Parts: sequence; C-alpha cells; structure tokens
Amino acid sequence: MSAPLLEARGIVKSFPGVVALRGVSFDVRAGEIHALCGENGAGKSTLIKVLSGVHPFGSYDGDILVDGAPARFLSVADAQKAGVAAIAQELALVPALSVAENVRLGDWPTKSGLVDWVEARRDAREWLERLGLDADLDTPVEKLAAGQRQLVEIAKALRRRARVLILDEPTAALAESEAVRLMDLARTLRAEGIGIVYISHRLDEVFSLADRVTVLRDGATVSTRSASGADRSAVIRDMVGREISDLFPRRAPHPGAVRLRAAGLCARDEGGTRELRDISFEARAGEVLGIGGLMGAGRSELLLHLFGAWGERVGGTLELDGAPFSPASPKEALEAGLSLVAEDRRRQGLVLGQSVGFNLSLSTLDALSRGGLVDAAEEQSLNARDREDLRIKTPSLDSVVGGLSGGNQQKVLIGRARRSAPKVLLLDEPTRGVDVGAKVEIYELVNRMTERGIAVILVSSELPELIGMSDRIVMLREGRSAGEFSRAEATQERLIAAALGQSEGA
Amino acid sequence: MSAARARLGGDASRALALAAIAGVFAVLSPDFLGARNLSMLAIELSTTAILALGMFLIILPGHIDLSAGSGVGLIGGVAAVLVTREGWPAPAAMAAAAALAVLLWRAMGRTIVSQRMPAFIITLGGLLAFKGLFWMVIRNATVPVSPAGALNVYARLTTTYLPPAWGWALTAALAAVLFGRWARARARGGSGGDEEGFLRALISVQLAALFTAVVNGFRGVPLPAVFLALSYAAVVVLTEHAPFGRRLFAIGGNEEAARLAGIDVHGTVVTAFALMGAAVAVTGFLQTAYAGASTTTVGDLMELDAIAACVIGGTSLNGGRGSARGVIFGALIMATLLNGMTLLAVAPEIKYVTRGVVLALAVWLDARLSR
Repeated sequence: MSAPLLEARGIVKSFPGVVALRGVSFDVRAGEIHALCGENGAGKSTLIKVLSGVHPFGSYDGDILVDGAPARFLSVADAQKAGVAAIAQELALVPALSVAENVRLGDWPTKSGLVDWVEARRDAREWLERLGLDADLDTPVEKLAAGQRQLVEIAKALRRRARVLILDEPTAALAESEAVRLMDLARTLRAEGIGIVYISHRLDEVFSLADRVTVLRDGATVSTRSASGADRSAVIRDMVGREISDLFPRRAPHPGAVRLRAAGLCARDEGGTRELRDISFEARAGEVLGIGGLMGAGRSELLLHLFGAWGERVGGTLELDGAPFSPASPKEALEAGLSLVAEDRRRQGLVLGQSVGFNLSLSTLDALSRGGLVDAAEEQSLNARDREDLRIKTPSLDSVVGGLSGGNQQKVLIGRARRSAPKVLLLDEPTRGVDVGAKVEIYELVNRMTERGIAVILVSSELPELIGMSDRIVMLREGRSAGEFSRAEATQERLIAAALGQSEGA
Repeated sequence: MSAARARLGGDASRALALAAIAGVFAVLSPDFLGARNLSMLAIELSTTAILALGMFLIILPGHIDLSAGSGVGLIGGVAAVLVTREGWPAPAAMAAAAALAVLLWRAMGRTIVSQRMPAFIITLGGLLAFKGLFWMVIRNATVPVSPAGALNVYARLTTTYLPPAWGWALTAALAAVLFGRWARARARGGSGGDEEGFLRALISVQLAALFTAVVNGFRGVPLPAVFLALSYAAVVVLTEHAPFGRRLFAIGGNEEAARLAGIDVHGTVVTAFALMGAAVAVTGFLQTAYAGASTTTVGDLMELDAIAACVIGGTSLNGGRGSARGVIFGALIMATLLNGMTLLAVAPEIKYVTRGVVLALAVWLDARLSR
C-alpha cells in the first residue's frame, strides 16, 4: 500500500502550563474518510492546527509527513501548497465579497495587471457546479446560508489543489438537508481520491461516513478502528474513559400544574420576514417539553419570543400561571420567572472576556446587592456553591470564562439561568458542541430541575436527545405547530415526517 | 492568567512610565518637584482626570463622547454668563448649568440607544453644536467667572486650598477607610484581604501623605484635588461594587448577551451618559475658574485628552475592559507631560507632537505587554 497522503507521528505540543498533545499519531490516505473523535479539550483542535500549519514547524515535536516525505509547514500557506486545507468552524471568507471573489480570494487571475473578472467568474462557476452549489456568483457571501458558505470554502480549497480536506464540525451549523448534502459531497470527494479528516460530535454521521475512526483523549490517541466493524459504545467509552450506561437518563416525571400555556400564538419580527403562526402548547411544572423542527422552523424565535427578546405579538394568547403574559424585554421575562440559555453561547450568552464568577451572577445582581452595592461575600459563596454543584472545571472563579471548554461554558450559563430561581427554564440547544461526558451532566441537571418543579422547554436539533429527554414533544415547521407527540409516540421517523410536513409513512 | 493579575501588570508598567516621565522633568527643571508646581499639577490633573473618569463610564459599554470638550466650554460659559451678565448667585448659576449638562447628555444617550445611532456620530454633532452654542452664549467675548472685584464661589473653586490640618485629617480618613476595607475583606476571606491588598492600601495612604506633605509646603491641598478624590471614589464604587458597573462591563463585553441576561441595556447606557454630563459640568466649572474667565478656547480638545487618558489607562475602545485606577494613571501621564513641558517653556507645536507620540507609544506598549 502506498504511503498515506498526510501523516502525523508522535506529535507533542505544549502551551504554557498545558500539554495539549502528548505523542499523537494519525494518518489519512487517499480516498479515505478518517473521523477524529474526542471530547472537547481532548486535543482535536490542536492536532488540526498542527496538521494545517496554524501551529508552525518548530512549535511542536514530532513529524509531519506528506506522501511519506517529511514536511515542514511554516504557515497555513505552506500547508495549502502541500495540498492540506482545513475548513474551520469559523470560515475564512470575506462576508461582503461575492461568491466568485471569495472562491478566488487572494489568487485573482490577472490580465495586464488588472483582475480578469471574466476568467475568475468562469473558473468559480466551474467549481461551484462541480460541488453542486446553486448560488449566484455575485451574491455577497454573507447572504448565503451556512451550508452554502461552507461549499464556497471547500471550492476555494479544492481549487488550490487540496488533496487533504480537514472538516472541523462541518455540520454543526447546518440544517438537516444541508448536512445530508455535505455528507454526500464528502463521499463524492472520497471517490475522487481526496483524503478527508472528519471531526464531528455526531456519532451517527461518523459511522455513516467514515472508513476509520480515531479517538483522542487527554491529548493522546486512544484507539484507531475500522468504522465498519466498530462498536459505537466502545467508541463512546474510549472518548469518555468510562462506561455511559444510560446516555439519556431522563427520569419519570411528576407533572404538576400548567406553568406556561400558549394558544394560537402569532408573532413576527420588525421586518416581517420571519414569523410564528398559530403555535399552541402547555408546559407543566416538573416536565420537559421538547421543541423540534428543522433549522429555520422557528424554534429559537419561539423561545426568544417567550423571553421577550424577539418579535411582536400579533395574535393568540400566552399565559404564565394562568395570567396573561407578554414580556416587553428579557428583563421583564426574568422578573416574571422565566430563564433562558440561548442557542449561541459565545454570542448570546457569555461575556467572554470576563470571569466565571462575573458571568454566573450577571442576571441576579440586584438580588445580590445590599444598599446598592454587590455583596461580595454573598456573591463569592453562591458562585463557589454553583461551581461545586455544577462541577464547572475552571482553575478559579476569577478565570476568564472564554478559556473554558464548551461544556463548562454551558454549565456556567445553566448556573446563571438557575440562579434566578425560574418557574420556567428555556434551553436552546443546551448540548451543542459539548462533549459526551458534559452532555450527561447537563441531562442530570435537567432532571434535578424538573424534580424541583421547574417547567423545562428544551429545543434540540438532535432527535435522539429530543426523544430521550422530553416528556412531550411539539414539532415546528415553517413557524407553525406541526404536531405534538407523547414520549411513547415519539420516534425519529414520526418526528422527521412532521418536521418535513409529510404524512406518516409517506 | 487571571483577569486580576493582567490588570495589576498594566498598572505597574503605567506607574513605571509615569516615574520615567517625572524623572526626566525633575532632572531638566529644578522647579518640577517643587510644592508650587505640584499644586498646579494637581489642579490641572483634576480637570483632565474628572472628565476622563466620566469618559470611562461611556467607553466601558462601548460608546464614545467626542462632545465633552465643547461641553466643558459651554457649561462653564453658561454658568459664567448667568453670574456676570444675569447677576445670579454663583451656586444657583452652577446648579442650573449642571442640570443643563445632565439633560443634554441624557438626551444624547437616549438618541444613541433608541435610534440606534453610533455615539461617534451623535457626539460629533454635539462637538460642533455645543461649540457654536458656547460662542453664542458668551457672544465671542471673555466672560469673567465673578463680577469685578468680588470673589464668588465659582472663582474660588480653583483658588481655595485646605488648611494644612484639614489635609492631614483627610489623609487620616482615607487611611481609616482603606485599612478598614482591607480588614473586612480579610475577616471574610474574600479577595483583597491578602498581603497584596494590604500593600495596595499602604501605598495609597503613603502617596496621599506624601502629596499632603508636599502641597502643604505651598498653600495646602487644592480644592479640585478633593473633587477628584471624591469623583474617583464614586467611580470606583460604581464600577467595581455596584450592579450598575457590572452592567457597563457586560454591555461593553457582549451587548446581546447582556440583554438576554436581563440587563436594561438602554437605561444603563443613558445613565452613563447622564453621569458624563455631570462630569462635564464639574470639569467645565473647574477649567473655566482656572482660566479666570470663559473664553472661546476653554475646553478645546479636552475630549481627546480624556479619551487618551482612558486608553493609556488600559480601557478598551471596544468596551468591556478597563479600570478607574488605570484611567487616573493615564490622566496623570497626560497632565504631567503637559505641565512639565509648559514649565520648560516648550513651544506649543512641540507639545502637540510629543503628546501624540506618547499616546501612540503608551498604547503600543500596553498592547505588547498584555500579550
């Protein structure tokens, strides 16, 4: 067998105070999809950065080989020249420039010193057609959907003769149909002889796509298996280093009185471009109400609307504990007894540059104040209690929250939401980008909160999670209710059918 | 690295830079460290620093105020005109002018948040409009702060010095407050109760005692220094101990997250602007009184000194980062530079160039060191 396209041998990479990689070996062959799995903080991102030249030669120990020959990447450009391109979670595109301009970014064809736009457009069109992207070449990239932007980035990489594509959580921000399309593309590229490193938290994707699966844990390679014969639970065990007997530990609920009741709720945003129509549900004390649907079905808008943060009410009723409820701002919603953990924790949740403690107590400053000043002793003791209780792994409460792993950041936000003693807790994708171990801890927290009589409304795009953790599920489609399912009725097939608007069995 | 340690490192480098600047002036001019000059420096620092502390409250949530300098002239001028031309008693004139300042800044704040306009644009409009209003109010003339011959409260703002014993009494009071705070922090085992906290309190008290001893060698503690001390204490309490300050940091750090955390973003920003109006008023009175009269140049470019003091002091122009202590250091660096160069009779054009270079250098150094 010929040498792998790209191989890492015994990579050791340290940062001040942390050893991120301790001797990792990994390789990807031509025409192969090799999945890289591991909890957040296992070292996946660092390994990608070494492979793609972000961490230059000399900043790590160990060897990188391209086609069996030692390679020294001093920059991302070096790696690209050698045919290695990483498609990162935050894409390297210029939002205001057009599709064509981005495909040829920094490498515009010239004719007598000026950019040859005819050639650039022709070339860009050719690549986009090959990838099956149906977008106007002159559209600014910022106007594209997430999945389309990703395709532009991939086109850009392939055009530069990339032979190894590193896809870091490529489906995390994609709608179901987009994700399916991306996975099809990965298969096509594999057939064309491209080597793909595929990083994902979604094990379903990993097992449907990958030829081999490598698990990293604490900066070391734990196992490399052929995907076809691999046992899923063994991979999970390798990732967390322990057995997870019950991935979704939802305990039997004891539903109480109706806390939040929506009947025929209609709302729309300022421009009238997005709307919620005729949405009805009840959320009872001690119960988890799941909200499902495709990306763009209005799930996040619904939660934000309930929280007074999105849209204008144009019809229907909403009641909290039997009284009409229409909060004008998140502040009012919070004071009325709602709490929200928003979808995008870095953009909507955390003040990243501030400390863990600052973020924990941000919603309850007034309650912590005596005579107009924050009671530092009280704050310190509550924060310390939450850190202990939520098992937030942080060097100290004064550490900058942006430095924590995704799961621990999420726990900080749940801690903040819980601090205000809510009657209704709104959770929007609470386990997105969170590793398996922290997921289970978050599910346990949800259980504990419902046991204390809190009504939880859970939005999730992962169907197993939605089914596993919800007592009842309301599906949304295009801003409307598309069916309600009891725990017993909810199967993946039924929920998907409702989300897509197909009658069952169709 | 913890956030607290990063702040400490920045202050240490700023203190070193200040010591270096002061050292150079002390060598070049024997008068620089004299009691008289340090008293003058204290008064000049007070105006720059009070305005900078107000600016700090605006920059923390990610806004900016370009109109502050024009406002200083306008508000000082309004009070002077009320006293000299309308015959108002000085306290009433200052109260009215201060109320006007708070209303104007509140209105700018409301416009910025409710109309979603950039503060840069609205306050740039303020810079121009207030300058024009200012000249209209004083009719392009020189308006004394007190009627001929009589020294009213307005004129005394910058000519009053506390008797030596009062200076010592204030130093003792400061010592009692700082050590008392340290002891309470130590008793509950919270932050600030350690040896570092004790050293901080000790150094602060020593500096206050040194300052008092020196200025008592001239006429005593100048009144503006007392205003500065009170303003500083107020801003420290607001930004470090009150929910209001937390909200400013949160809004500057991530406005969307702050809103979803239940913070009244609009109300908080409007309050910050109203406080800036108060800072503009106090600075306007001090600056005009120091000049003896309201003239068309009072307040010129002061907004830039205030912004420079904030930035040198480690305040991020993107919002969400900075400390009142750093701002005081920044104001000290700017005021010392100007005072020393004036003492050395440096040409005005060279003064501008030097201040510009020091500003750029200080920010570059801060960025390098905090990496």
